[in-house]
Amino acid sequence: MKMEETKIIEALCEICGAEPEDLEGDMELFEEGLLDSFGVISLFVELESIFGVKLDPTEVERSVISTPDKLVAFVLEKL
Amino acid sequence: MFILEKIAEYAKTDRVALINRNERLTFAQMDAYSDAVAACLLAQFGAEDRTPVVIYGHKQTEMLPCMYGALKAGRAYVPVDITVPADRVRDILDTVKPKLFIDLADICSGGEIPADLYGQRVDTAAVQQIFAEYAGQKPDASHWVQDADPCYILFTSGSTGKPKGVPISKANLDNLYREFSAWVADAKGDVIMNQISYSFDVSVVSVYVGMALGKTLYTIDKGMMENLPELYEKLATSQIAVWVSTPSFAEMCVVSPRLDANLLPQMERFIFCGEVLTHKLTETLFARFPGRAVVNTYGPTEATVLVTAMEVTQAMLEDTRPIPIGIPLNEVRFAIVDEAGNELPEGETGELLIISDSVSAGYFGRPDLTAQRFLEWKGEGCVKRGYRTGDAVYRLGQYYYFCGRIDFQVKLNGYRIELEDIENNMMRVTNVARAVVLPVSKEEKIDHLVAFVMLQSPSQLSALKTGLAIKEELKQYLPSYMIPRKIVLRESFPINTNGKVDRKQLALELK
Repeated sequence: MKMEETKIIEALCEICGAEPEDLEGDMELFEEGLLDSFGVISLFVELESIFGVKLDPTEVERSVISTPDKLVAFVLEKL
Repeated sequence: MFILEKIAEYAKTDRVALINRNERLTFAQMDAYSDAVAACLLAQFGAEDRTPVVIYGHKQTEMLPCMYGALKAGRAYVPVDITVPADRVRDILDTVKPKLFIDLADICSGGEIPADLYGQRVDTAAVQQIFAEYAGQKPDASHWVQDADPCYILFTSGSTGKPKGVPISKANLDNLYREFSAWVADAKGDVIMNQISYSFDVSVVSVYVGMALGKTLYTIDKGMMENLPELYEKLATSQIAVWVSTPSFAEMCVVSPRLDANLLPQMERFIFCGEVLTHKLTETLFARFPGRAVVNTYGPTEATVLVTAMEVTQAMLEDTRPIPIGIPLNEVRFAIVDEAGNELPEGETGELLIISDSVSAGYFGRPDLTAQRFLEWKGEGCVKRGYRTGDAVYRLGQYYYFCGRIDFQVKLNGYRIELEDIENNMMRVTNVARAVVLPVSKEEKIDHLVAFVMLQSPSQLSALKTGLAIKEELKQYLPSYMIPRKIVLRESFPINTNGKVDRKQLALELK
């Protein structure tokens, strides 16, 4: 499980322009300006190519993925 | 003017002009409300006054009647979207000095806009009161904007860090309609997408061409863009037949496999403008919407939205070259020139000059900038206005191909951005000594921006927190689409042999 989590956080960091060690699990990604709609799309495309799992951004409310912790939980659920 | 005449014509029918969430405006209402706004302007400020009207808002239903109302009173309007921060709104107001400031999104309630920057301010309730109070008044067509009069002034990113205004005249818009409307008229369906913000000129395709053809504008607003499940729900019931957007918006939409001909059964054609159209997006659209047309267009704001059009073919997709930016519209002449201004032969890359009746008179109140970019072109028995685009372009046969900029302007998600504009504003941020902003490309186009920043004194915070604080403060000065995604802190910058920051060296670090 740890491996997948690292990959998700790395993909998120790539999109946010952040370093993994700087990112806190409960940071509000949208409020802090780290993610927007375009960011979510790029992130989902990236996660799809890493895990081969289908993620449809049109079926996901922002609140479900609004922090790194929530995002990880959401993606792990789909694997 | 064609658009005002056409609205009046359709006003005799029960046709719908605008759908904005639960609200609808018929052409009759559009006509009546814009007449009321014009009557109010004429009554309050007189027929001689020509001061542009600044309209701040997003996709509110009241926006379009206010815009057309200004035209009916002989005034230009300046649409300013809610993504523009207070600092830039102040610059625009200070430049335009409007007598009437229509504030549909309450920017003034925050106290950030000094009241001495405009004459009178009206909010949404006051606009609705104007619709009611002046109902039934129909200002004479003699008050309407005339050929050389500006219809709108759009403010775009300027390299000095202050936005510059591009006025577009009635004659410019008439030319766009004459040359381009067939590309929209060819679609049988009634509904055209209204997604691009009104302060960005791709919206003119829907607001002028679509509206004048009697199409119904279907609004997609910022709220829907931020709530993707809702966006798709709306698209499914929209009946859109003509898609008008930047490629970026379509790229965002196609990430969901749901975006196909089943979701949008009425779809007939996609019209793209504003940035590079990639092979990948076109291939996806061809596969998801078999038999539907994808039209690529090109043009700077200074030449009224677009000056080319072309249907993308399967052969273009199989070609390793980028998709052409199009074929010049009939009236438009392109010249590709070298640094000395000599015209180059086919196949050679140089700066593109646009010679057309669509070219603007020049930047608002800036004869210095106008002289740098605009020119008079003599040839073929006439003198036409020309504009130096700053785009590096070559021609093969009838097609033109874009190969980048000759300066520091970039297109990101369809927005036109001067990198120096961002840099100059970043240096206003606390503790920032120097900033260099670079684009990062992915699959044929720019994906995001990175800022290299030198601080005045070391930060106590982590690099991420420092970067976030810089981005937060920068939001006071710049629209969100201009905020670099990534901030890289540096103790020094590499210097090239000219003693300038070596951008190429910094760019290598991004690879």
